[in-house]
Amino acid sequence: MRTNPLTKPKYDPNSVQAVVMLAPMLIGFFLFTYVPIFYILRYSFYQSNGFTETWIGVENFVRIFTRDLPYWKSLGNAFLLSFGKLAVEIPLALLLAVFLNKALKGTGFFRVMLFLPAIISTAITGLIFSLMFASFNGIINEMLLNIGWIARPISWFSRKWSAMLVLGIASVWNNYGINMIFFLMALQSVPKELYESADIDGISSVRKFFHITLPMIGPTFQVVVLMAIVGSLKMADLILASTNGQPAGQTEVVMTYVFKYFFGYDGRTVSVGFASAMALITGIILALVSLVYLKTSNKLGHSMD
Amino acid sequence: MKKHILQRTLSKLLIYTVLTLVFIVAIFPVLYTLLGSFKGNMELLTEGNRLFPRKFVLDNYKQAWQIANFSQYTLNSLFMSGSIVLGTIISCTIAGYVFERGHFKGKNLIFTLVVSSMFVSLGSLTLYPVFMIAKFFGINKSLWGVIIIRVFGLNVTNLFIARAYIRTISYEIDESAMLDGCSFFQIYHTMILPLLKPLVATIAILEFRHSWNDYLMPLVFTLSNPKRMPLIVGIMELKSSGEAATSWNLMLAGSSIALIPMIVVYLIFNRNFIEGLTAGSVKG
Repeated sequence: MRTNPLTKPKYDPNSVQAVVMLAPMLIGFFLFTYVPIFYILRYSFYQSNGFTETWIGVENFVRIFTRDLPYWKSLGNAFLLSFGKLAVEIPLALLLAVFLNKALKGTGFFRVMLFLPAIISTAITGLIFSLMFASFNGIINEMLLNIGWIARPISWFSRKWSAMLVLGIASVWNNYGINMIFFLMALQSVPKELYESADIDGISSVRKFFHITLPMIGPTFQVVVLMAIVGSLKMADLILASTNGQPAGQTEVVMTYVFKYFFGYDGRTVSVGFASAMALITGIILALVSLVYLKTSNKLGHSMD
Repeated sequence: MKKHILQRTLSKLLIYTVLTLVFIVAIFPVLYTLLGSFKGNMELLTEGNRLFPRKFVLDNYKQAWQIANFSQYTLNSLFMSGSIVLGTIISCTIAGYVFERGHFKGKNLIFTLVVSSMFVSLGSLTLYPVFMIAKFFGINKSLWGVIIIRVFGLNVTNLFIARAYIRTISYEIDESAMLDGCSFFQIYHTMILPLLKPLVATIAILEFRHSWNDYLMPLVFTLSNPKRMPLIVGIMELKSSGEAATSWNLMLAGSSIALIPMIVVYLIFNRNFIEGLTAGSVKG
């Protein structure tokens, strides 16, 4: 890459400078973004424990599709958790954004405070929620006992559904803020005149919301929801820091499942090839989800016009 | 008319009720952690279910700081986040400047390649290959690996923000500097960079939040070298060490040590935080 402007005068020295300035980042980018993808592509056809490797053709894929039920379960859990919590998170974020957009007294304070959970580490979130929902001495159990909603402390993390519920709550807590702010930004760009003319026509606030607000923020809404879906499906830190897949792998999500095979974490043997094949399939599934989402949401958007 | 006013008051009441409820839920876990960290160990074990401590004690912090290595973890976190923030400011403003103002063959092709990487969404699935590449270069056993990857790995979000911001700067500045004989790099260094303060603030805050809170990548890079663990990894290590039940006090104190700097920075720069996070993601 090193070109000397003196010996090659046909190069513009400023272009050479531009290339030299960018080179470290370009090398880093290709090394840490594109090379890993090719690495995964290659190793998905190998059996490897990190030291030795053997070509085994499509055996890894055969194993995933025919013999590895836990992978599909973890994928199912990721979908369940993501769509379950987004069903709460997105409407909540939108509702709060609409409220904060009313410019009432104190909304500045509420905006800053309601966004606070979004700046907190996902791993710490997982830890705090697992302490709060602890079966023995947990503050949530104690509060529920005091109100009288439960008679005995609940062992939240020893059953699949209650553990998933806690994970969902923790994830909504950590993530609603960012979506709320996106919606708020979109709402603030809706022209005020639209509402004023609707007011003159005496249109109710609910109808205003569905006939002016939603269509106006439609494009932002589409992107925000897409990012929320993909982001949730890639959830890993929260699970590692709280349930770590327990009880008996029932709350394992796809990212943590594959992660553990890559690094031999949590008592698994290192299986780089198998993990690569799973990573590849997961990547394809995530891309398909985005594609299907964009297709259907575009259709929905057009049918609303 | 009267009905109208009543309706308005009711809707205001509803709005404030909902906002207040969410506000309580939003800050409760944070308060729980911060207040819990001041409880004595006995109180935590027998009365972990109270929000406020009966007596404020600093034992947990002392123990975390001296015995549980949290002074080292904090230093590591400061070192890692500080280096990443500084490095990213330089690498992203340069990359944004070159992509916006530079001219060379293949620029658009390279930019397309960089941007299209966003559509390959593998997330933490590429962590292992990234780690192996770091191993190849011998930077896999310390936080330097994380720093180098984050600084030179070119975060597409930051690149977008930087490029968009530099685009708003008038070309006349470049042109007059060029007439004065400034080279491409000198224009960046002497003319453009000083104008980028708001951009630098945004990138610094985004990167601080990201690097201070990051868990998986520093975990992987310090697995074999626990002395180099940053705070978040150190705290999680306590949880998975099997002594979780007896180290609630350390986990709470450790979490507070990790939370407080973040919250302070947020409360001071909350405007930049919110603008930065949205600027980056919606454009991306």
